[in-house]
Amino acid sequence: MTRWILGTAFLVSSSLAAIILLFLISGSFPIVIQHGWTFLTGVEWSVGETYGALPMIYGTVMVTLIALAVALPLGVGTAVMTSELVGPRMRRTLKSLMEVLAGVPGIVYGLLGMVFVTTWVRDSFRLIDGNCIFTAGLLLGVMILPTVMTLSEDAIHAVPDWYREQARALGLQRHEVIIHAVFPHALPGIFGALLLGVSRAMGETVAVMLVIGSLDRLPAPLYNVFAPAQSIASKLGREAAEAIGVGLHWNALLGLGLILFLMVITLTWSAEKIGWQGRLHRA
Amino acid sequence: MIAARRRTVMGTLLHIFVGVMTIVSVTLLVSIVAMMVAKGATALTWEFVSQPSKSFGAEGGIRSQILGTLLLTLGAGFVSLPLALGTALYQTEYLAQRLKAVSMRFIYALNGVPTILFGLFGYMVFGIYLGLGVSWLSGVLILAMMILPTMIVSIREAIEAIPARYREAGLALGMTQAQLIRAVIVPQSLAGIITGMLLGLARATGETAAIMFTATTFSGVDLPQAINEPVTTLQTHILLLSQEAIHSSATDAVWGAALMLMVLVFCFSLGAFVVRSRLRFAA
Repeated sequence: MTRWILGTAFLVSSSLAAIILLFLISGSFPIVIQHGWTFLTGVEWSVGETYGALPMIYGTVMVTLIALAVALPLGVGTAVMTSELVGPRMRRTLKSLMEVLAGVPGIVYGLLGMVFVTTWVRDSFRLIDGNCIFTAGLLLGVMILPTVMTLSEDAIHAVPDWYREQARALGLQRHEVIIHAVFPHALPGIFGALLLGVSRAMGETVAVMLVIGSLDRLPAPLYNVFAPAQSIASKLGREAAEAIGVGLHWNALLGLGLILFLMVITLTWSAEKIGWQGRLHRA
Repeated sequence: MIAARRRTVMGTLLHIFVGVMTIVSVTLLVSIVAMMVAKGATALTWEFVSQPSKSFGAEGGIRSQILGTLLLTLGAGFVSLPLALGTALYQTEYLAQRLKAVSMRFIYALNGVPTILFGLFGYMVFGIYLGLGVSWLSGVLILAMMILPTMIVSIREAIEAIPARYREAGLALGMTQAQLIRAVIVPQSLAGIITGMLLGLARATGETAAIMFTATTFSGVDLPQAINEPVTTLQTHILLLSQEAIHSSATDAVWGAALMLMVLVFCFSLGAFVVRSRLRFAA
């Protein structure tokens, strides 16, 4: 009896991810039939006429890359400091701080971004409008920083002490111990931490929605990160309520959702494969 | 000689880099909290917290929003806890060893799903197919799905940390698996169950994207009188005010609401922190 009750709970929670995937696949069927490949390669999105996902895909990739560029040096640098160069007391303080700060809601970042970061970006880069890819990426980078830091720190700290001791005994200096003895062993874990942080940035909706400028167009030229754009998540956040669950518009949104799902799941599974040890509650 | 000097220079450079990164990270994150406190503290009076809002948030307080957020969050915890507990128990007590890793992979996949996709899924499945519409119940179910992985992982960790001799003692007394679960496993992992619950609640509290078009309406709603009525929440209140506020008192209100939201999230995550460290001392 107990076995069956628990088994049911287990089946429900294990199948949820697959059910969502199936929902997205079946929901995006009509748009794939209607548009074929041009759904992926189209650059124009006008409701009722044509649906091209490329600007949103591009926007998602760009904000994610900028977030990575921000969170990588800051997060890993802080993690090295915390694990290798400060005392146990300071380490605990920094870790607790980061773990609590990892919980700051996306909407709070969105609000801060809207009020402060957009104006700061506008003024320091002499733009007309601060709502752009760069601002969104910057904001996401700071948002995932605590996650990246605390997970990379876990990976670095998990390297057994006798690697450090042996390296020291061979005459390596402190920084050489870190670079040559600790880092190679911690690398898979750090990589996993980064992928996990990045996948979180990729799916963030409200923080991006408020600062990215919400323009469904590829920036010109393509590398112009100061152009307003749109990410998949922000697009869904803006238009899901309008599409009210019917018609090709809704199917196109589900198609976008499917693309996002596949991008994120690839990252999550690679992180797992590379050697991240699964501590979701810190992420 | 030159080589030795190069080594020292490298060491110094690494130290400087790591130090600067740490200072920048900590400063950034601490100043986010400080800024929220500085901006929000003036607005966060007792009147503001205890009164319902008037003229679309420009006047009055945020009582209904606070209660709405709590209603959604606690409802989600209530739905999610039995599912998470059942899943974790089935995985640790009944599932064949080789299937454990596979089943966790699906749980991690669920954890990776961007929250906006839970919104799309819930809008269609709970809102339209099950006829719940935009309602408290829809929001509860969506958030329950979302926080499930966080809770499962935390509960599993606690169960796996139970020393083998407890289990053996129970089995030696002739307990059945079900009796063992009730008399040994659940009581011994109670702290982990509470930790998981609180972490899940913290995650649900900060969530905006998944509920903004499935559970809440932006205006004219007070507390729901039934489970199929929409709610109003702090998160969506902030979203609304930040996008439309021009009135200066509404600007104060938005910071007050954001600080309140952060306080709620921190309460849950600090609670989890305290319970977890208590557990460690007890074991």
